[in-house]
Amino acid sequence: MQGTLDLMVLRTLESMGPQHGFGLAKRIQQISAGALELNQGTLYPALLRLEQRGWISSQWGASDKNRRAKFYDLTKAGLKQIARETGDWERTVALMDRFLRPAE
Amino acid sequence: MRTLWKRSTAVFSRRQGDRELNEEVEVHLEMRAAELGEQGLDPHAARAAAHREFGGIDQMKETYRDRRGIPWIEGLAKDARYGLRGLRRNPAFTLAAVLSLALGIGANTAIFSFVNALMLRMLPVEKPEQLVSLYRTGGWGKGYASYPLYLEFRKHTDLFAAVFARSATDKVRFNSAHANSVEYVEREYVTGNYFDALGVKASIGRLFTDDDNRNPQGHPLVVLSYDFWRNRMGRDPAILGRVLMVDEQPLTVIGVAAPGFHGVAVESRADMWAPAMMSRGEIMQPGNHWIWTMARRRPDIPIGRVQAAANTIMQQYLTSVYGGQRDSAFGKWALGQKIEVRDAGVGISMLRDAFGKPLTILMAAVGLVLLIACANVANLLIARGATRRREIAMRFSLGATRVRLVRQWLIESLLIALLGSGLGLAFAIWGERYMLLFLPPGSGEAFDVSPDATVLGFTLGISILSAVLFGLAPALRATSLDPLAALKDGGSPQSGRGARAGFRKALVVAQVALSVVLVAAAGLFAHSLAGLRAIHPGFAAQNVVTFSLDYPQAWKGADKQKHRARLLAGLAAVPGIGSISYGVPGPYRGGSWTTGIHVPGSARAAKDDDQVAEQGVGPAYFETIGMRPLRGREFDPGDLVSTRKAAIVNEAFLREFLPGTADPAGRIVTLDDSKGAGRDPLYIVGLVPDILHDGLKTGAKPTVYVPFHDGDVSFDPTLLVRAQLPAAALLPAIRRELGKIDPEVALVEPRTLRERLDDSIFVDRMIATLSGFFGVLALLLAAIGIYGVMAYAVARRTAEIGLRIALGAAPARIEWMVLRDGLLPIGLGVGIGLPLSLAAGRITASLLYGVKPNDPLTLVWTIAVLLAVGMLAALLPARRAAAVEPVEALRHE
Repeated sequence: MQGTLDLMVLRTLESMGPQHGFGLAKRIQQISAGALELNQGTLYPALLRLEQRGWISSQWGASDKNRRAKFYDLTKAGLKQIARETGDWERTVALMDRFLRPAE
Repeated sequence: MRTLWKRSTAVFSRRQGDRELNEEVEVHLEMRAAELGEQGLDPHAARAAAHREFGGIDQMKETYRDRRGIPWIEGLAKDARYGLRGLRRNPAFTLAAVLSLALGIGANTAIFSFVNALMLRMLPVEKPEQLVSLYRTGGWGKGYASYPLYLEFRKHTDLFAAVFARSATDKVRFNSAHANSVEYVEREYVTGNYFDALGVKASIGRLFTDDDNRNPQGHPLVVLSYDFWRNRMGRDPAILGRVLMVDEQPLTVIGVAAPGFHGVAVESRADMWAPAMMSRGEIMQPGNHWIWTMARRRPDIPIGRVQAAANTIMQQYLTSVYGGQRDSAFGKWALGQKIEVRDAGVGISMLRDAFGKPLTILMAAVGLVLLIACANVANLLIARGATRRREIAMRFSLGATRVRLVRQWLIESLLIALLGSGLGLAFAIWGERYMLLFLPPGSGEAFDVSPDATVLGFTLGISILSAVLFGLAPALRATSLDPLAALKDGGSPQSGRGARAGFRKALVVAQVALSVVLVAAAGLFAHSLAGLRAIHPGFAAQNVVTFSLDYPQAWKGADKQKHRARLLAGLAAVPGIGSISYGVPGPYRGGSWTTGIHVPGSARAAKDDDQVAEQGVGPAYFETIGMRPLRGREFDPGDLVSTRKAAIVNEAFLREFLPGTADPAGRIVTLDDSKGAGRDPLYIVGLVPDILHDGLKTGAKPTVYVPFHDGDVSFDPTLLVRAQLPAAALLPAIRRELGKIDPEVALVEPRTLRERLDDSIFVDRMIATLSGFFGVLALLLAAIGIYGVMAYAVARRTAEIGLRIALGAAPARIEWMVLRDGLLPIGLGVGIGLPLSLAAGRITASLLYGVKPNDPLTLVWTIAVLLAVGMLAALLPARRAAAVEPVEALRHE
């Protein structure tokens, strides 16, 4: 599950641009449309991990309601990582698909 | 790498990280609560819901924190554990590597401890870097100067913030209340401003001021060192105001100095200080050089300007004192004195002059030893890396990054280095004790070489440095493989051998080259020492014990003379004792006096700047040191009382002043007194061979021996006893005899003449012994290196060799083939080492006696020794190669 959450965060940042933690959590739950039971708190260690790997960067800024908040943004390395992991996922899905489809 | 950095900084900014996380969580909760509030929930319920959706905050924070800092350290710990396991699994490798390093690091630590104690350790005083020593040269003695000169410099407040002075540290009698036996303490006389100028504070009581040092014999006060107060007075606070008998002066204790302060001299530790005005010598006599002047520089005046000003002050002072005697030998001599302004933040030291340069050279030598040791360990690591290719390939394919693997390797190297430095420290402590034995008594005891923070820091520093030095290249090499290829060929050490073997051979070349430098230096120093030992000092040093006597202060010359006569008579009756005599200063007791002389009838009489060495000796002096007069006779007891004063001269005197005279008996000489005036004429009664009284290197000076009279000079004579008994048996007999006559008189500084001779060349003995040891160490390490590389090469080529033998190659041919392979790097190393050692020779030249640094014999020997050791190290693997069983070898493939 760790890898999937990472990819979700990266993809969200790619499509929406810089986001604070709450914005990310909200967006991820919106897209999964309730299919994902997520304790929003678990997002933060994941963000730290991604930052340590150099895939995202963070910066303190002002939110739309003018509240100080920490914003996360995708880095170049993060962009590459998305490409890599997307490829992996697609291969895995394709592979699993062959097994799961009823034999003809 | 970036992760590593971020996490490591995170460890140090943990608190800030926590604050940021708290804020981030708070923002999140606020935003969610606000959103829910807009949907109609009351603030309280909204807040609770936000919390619920967020999940366990504390749990999350813990995960976050773990992730942020700890893994970095945990990873290191894991690497270290892994490394230790590897080292344990391979004890032969570990032992060889750790031992090599321990020898290298130990040698460095030992020598550095001396460098630190003698040249680096700052005095525990305020702003020591501002202190200078006004070092006097020329005239008589050095370093110490007269009290009037000190007062002269004290006037120059424009140059110095403070000028102060101290006498030599003297071992004097001390009668404490609780012991009847005679005890000794190290006492110094100091000027009143001494402690204040140094910025040393009192532990208890008070220290001296200028008011405590105004009138001769007027201030019977004493300040104790903290160590003396603690160790010998049991930290008794009631010591203040108590009267101590020091050197038979009743002195009142006024205070105890701050802990750690033992005075300003490196090789002595003062127990107590008394005001300079309490000295019994002629305090104000300009010819009495008894006090060493120091000053605190004004920080804004550069030392060059201080030196220039000091030169002027000195010239003016000398002219005012000795200007009237400009035409006499004595006057010229006295006017030639100079003042050197030297940095004194590290304390003042006579030993530093003699020993500073040898120490620097030894430091360079041990640096080379460590380099050779590092090359050895690097070699071992590379060999080990080759056998670990499979493991490395496996870890690569399991996703480890190269950075990670190199880190793992470096941590292993660091572990080896730390183990080595731990063992090395033990070696060093043992080595320091051994080195201290070389120092003459009086400088060894007080010399504190115990490892302090600087030394430990140095050891840690060089061990980390050497870990990088020997660990990095092998680590980069071992991890630069293609994992697929390595896994495929089963990780056998064959693959990728070209560059690796080349690098290892380069290491051997370097080892041999450095060994050449060390072995050549060792050879030169040994040669030099042998030359010194071969010099005949002019007397037979065997079986002579020398000592001094410490008389009660009240004794006059006549009392001492009477006591000595009784002692000599008593000792003459002891079986085994051959002859007894005495002399001032005695052989190897701080040289001789230089005196102006007039020799009527001498061709040189016209000039009056002639000087000779003067020695005061007793009857049977020459017999006691094992030599006979060439002409005439030596002094007899009658000469001590005769009005016609006798003198004995040496051959150098004859050559210089009366050339062509075969027998000087009956000639007259006149010696100057200490103020340059002529004394009574002396009639020569005998001629003796040249005796190197002063030191083996200085050669014989023209010398006039006169009968010794107590009271002539303020020094007591050295007694000399020639006996068949060993010194250990003789000394108790002498002590017994002394006790019978007067228990108040104590025997001090017993030493055989042989030991005194050895003391005089302690630097040569020490540097020859240590450089010899380091030379052997270098050879040993290089031999291990050569052996390792050769053995590895043979193992690698077993199959090829087997094939050659199967095809009919003779074992001798195979042996030669392998040997040739090993001789190439050895020859190359010697070729590089020779010019290096010639260059190094220029630095060592000034420490060599009677041998040139490019001495061909030494160089030839060095080459021979290195080739022989190299051959020996290469021969074993070559033999093994020649004995390869072809069938076995081919199956091995």
